[in-house]
Amino acid sequence: MNKTIQVPLNRVEGDLEIRAELDDDGRVTKAWCAGTLFRGFERIMLGRGALDGLVLTPRICGICSTAHLTAAALALEHIVGAVVPPDAIRIRNLALMAEHLQSDLRHTFLMFAVDLVHPRFQTSDLWDEAVQRWAPLRGSTTVEVLRETKKVLEIIAIVGGQWPHSSFIVPGGIASVPSSGALQQCKHLLRGYRTWYERTILGCTIERWQGVRSHGELAAWLEERPAHRDSELGLLLRHGRKLGLNAAGRGPGRFLSFGAFDLPPDTKLRVPMGARQLINPGFVKDNQVHPFEQEHIAEHLAHSWAGNQACEHPAQGLTRPYATGAEGEKYSWAKAPRYQGQVVETGPLAEAVVAQSPLFIDLLEREGVSVLLRVLARLVRAVELIPAMECWLNEAGKHNEFYIPPPSLLHGSGYGLTHAARGALGHWIAIEDSRITHYQVIPPTTWNASPRDNDSVPGAIEQALVGTRVEDPSDPIELGVVVRSFDPCLVCTVHTVNREQPLGRIRVG
Amino acid sequence: MSLLGVESPDFLEILAHLDLEVLWHPSLANTSALQREQLVQRILTGEQHLDILCVEGSVIRGPGGSGMFDTEAGRPKKDLLAALARCARYVVAVGTCASFGGIGADGDIEATGLNFAGQKKGGFLGEAFLSQSGAPVINLPGCPCHGDVIAGTLGHLCANTVPSLDAYQAPLEWFGLLVHQGCVRNEYHEYRVEERRFGERGCLFFYMGCRGPIAYGPCNKILWNRRSSKTRVGVPCLGCTQPDFPQPHPFFDTPAIADIPLELPSGVDRAHYLAYKSMAAAAAPERLKKRQTGV
Repeated sequence: MNKTIQVPLNRVEGDLEIRAELDDDGRVTKAWCAGTLFRGFERIMLGRGALDGLVLTPRICGICSTAHLTAAALALEHIVGAVVPPDAIRIRNLALMAEHLQSDLRHTFLMFAVDLVHPRFQTSDLWDEAVQRWAPLRGSTTVEVLRETKKVLEIIAIVGGQWPHSSFIVPGGIASVPSSGALQQCKHLLRGYRTWYERTILGCTIERWQGVRSHGELAAWLEERPAHRDSELGLLLRHGRKLGLNAAGRGPGRFLSFGAFDLPPDTKLRVPMGARQLINPGFVKDNQVHPFEQEHIAEHLAHSWAGNQACEHPAQGLTRPYATGAEGEKYSWAKAPRYQGQVVETGPLAEAVVAQSPLFIDLLEREGVSVLLRVLARLVRAVELIPAMECWLNEAGKHNEFYIPPPSLLHGSGYGLTHAARGALGHWIAIEDSRITHYQVIPPTTWNASPRDNDSVPGAIEQALVGTRVEDPSDPIELGVVVRSFDPCLVCTVHTVNREQPLGRIRVG
Repeated sequence: MSLLGVESPDFLEILAHLDLEVLWHPSLANTSALQREQLVQRILTGEQHLDILCVEGSVIRGPGGSGMFDTEAGRPKKDLLAALARCARYVVAVGTCASFGGIGADGDIEATGLNFAGQKKGGFLGEAFLSQSGAPVINLPGCPCHGDVIAGTLGHLCANTVPSLDAYQAPLEWFGLLVHQGCVRNEYHEYRVEERRFGERGCLFFYMGCRGPIAYGPCNKILWNRRSSKTRVGVPCLGCTQPDFPQPHPFFDTPAIADIPLELPSGVDRAHYLAYKSMAAAAAPERLKKRQTGV
């Protein structure tokens, strides 16, 4: 007899409940992701001043506020074709990257790893070690991560005044004029962070890790020194494999990146030929990278309460809450975004696959997409970010030009695409007489946690949950691990119900 | 997130020093939903004391007062909130949305603050509401609210004292001063040396929409992330602690008549201010006009 399960995630981007059907063996046969909170943010924007997105959209999310600010500014710049001075590009990138560094580690250790200390996972002989490091509020790593991520955020406060929720990124550049002393302070903070990250998270230098380019080299790296095995990365890999996380949470196998971090035209940072951004845009299907075109995005509403239209591109799409009050086809406040009609996943792993990172391509071919692969990609993203931040901090301030006034923002429409820590983020805006007439946001979690589309094809997390075996339906911790691997930026609760009868619920994050 | 930014002592140390037990927090607690449900039941039956209830976010009442825009397990969250607020010794509204309604206040979601709807007393819990201790809801506005303010208020409540509050029930210690106080650009304001475009360096009040002289908050006293503040780096104060946040008129613009802002610094007499500013501008020193301080 089948049973059913649910997962609510907190209000950062809307609460989410997942319902899942289990077979006799406790394996998920079907899953549904339901956004249970409607905030109406996009409708609040209508009629407001053209620049108001710079103030209001960062407040969509307390952990990726700089990403929303970036997308909002890029969308306005797209309307008028604003020019941004190279030094402003550097400082913007620096701030958003600092936010990523913070988010990646807080998510991994304060949200994801917490699941792995659940008594269910005592089957791994590394469980005691995991508890000592990752237990909530007291684990040794938890304490360090809180301290170090707090310090790295000071970089954003130095260039932008505060974190979260500054509005220092404006069309045409940034509002601040960082002094050389301020930039020096940022360098010290970054250097301190690198030292800690290398010692604690990687167990080796960034340069050594860059030499790990295949499945075999990863195995050799783990064996090379105790410092590698005992680092946070080493422990996560070893504990994760013992728990079978390298074979759990498959997902759609298609990846999307909007691209992020424009390269300043005069930078000395070494990047692949022809690259215009540090994170490449692209769409990966059947292991092939295709160019990304935002025109191919459409949001499906057949299973969403956010409207009753067919599917729409975000430049046209509206949000009209359509609550029938009845449980029918519709089950979520979230829309179902699709790229060329396909379900995709986004996030650090998608970025690595689009960039054709040798290590991740090899792991993907040998083991497939998994919970552990997503976590690995998130933990080592700093290896790409820190050297770029160092380079741009060294180059910044030479011209002392951080702002060029853009043409007046009177009429037009545009979009701003970037990456938040958890993946592709887009804002689509239209203005008339300097007032907002249209605003649509697609945050990364909407791709990953989308409901079914107009063809009833399940979203990325809905697909990834299928096949997951739940040992105790009254405490389905295994589902939390899969959902968390997408870094949904949300706290989740899993409900288990036997038909209509509640059995129990658990919080998974 | 801003609470995690608390420094010396940090967030975990504060919990230990104040002997505070976090019964539940959406991202920090590690209890299962079943345990949480049992916890709520124990609180509602009086078996478990709830000393301090901290609420973040506005109360969502839409559509049509049902609260069904924000549910958990099919039930409106607002009902759980009403029940817990009745049991709590102290109730603290953390952030502008919980205090006054904030961003969603006039929208589809019919949001309101716990004890205020904008400037109007009442809100979700009603005008007469007092917590079990007899204290009103304590508002800690700001988007976000500064972590030190949260920590300091918790410190008061753990010692069983209620901090002195202003008319909006916010502690005077942090909301009795203006964001303007402590801003490193004060001298520009003093002599009316204005900024008209970003990066120019000058006072942001006259053209850039800065609400520092109007909005109450400690941003320039205790600083953000121990480092800086928006106004210190040339970003106007957006008035995020105010009951009317987000303001109806566009941000980054100061509504003015004849170059004098419509909204003057808090409590200032218009005629005197006009006379004072025109004389001050005439007296402005060259070093300031030439931005030699580099601030």
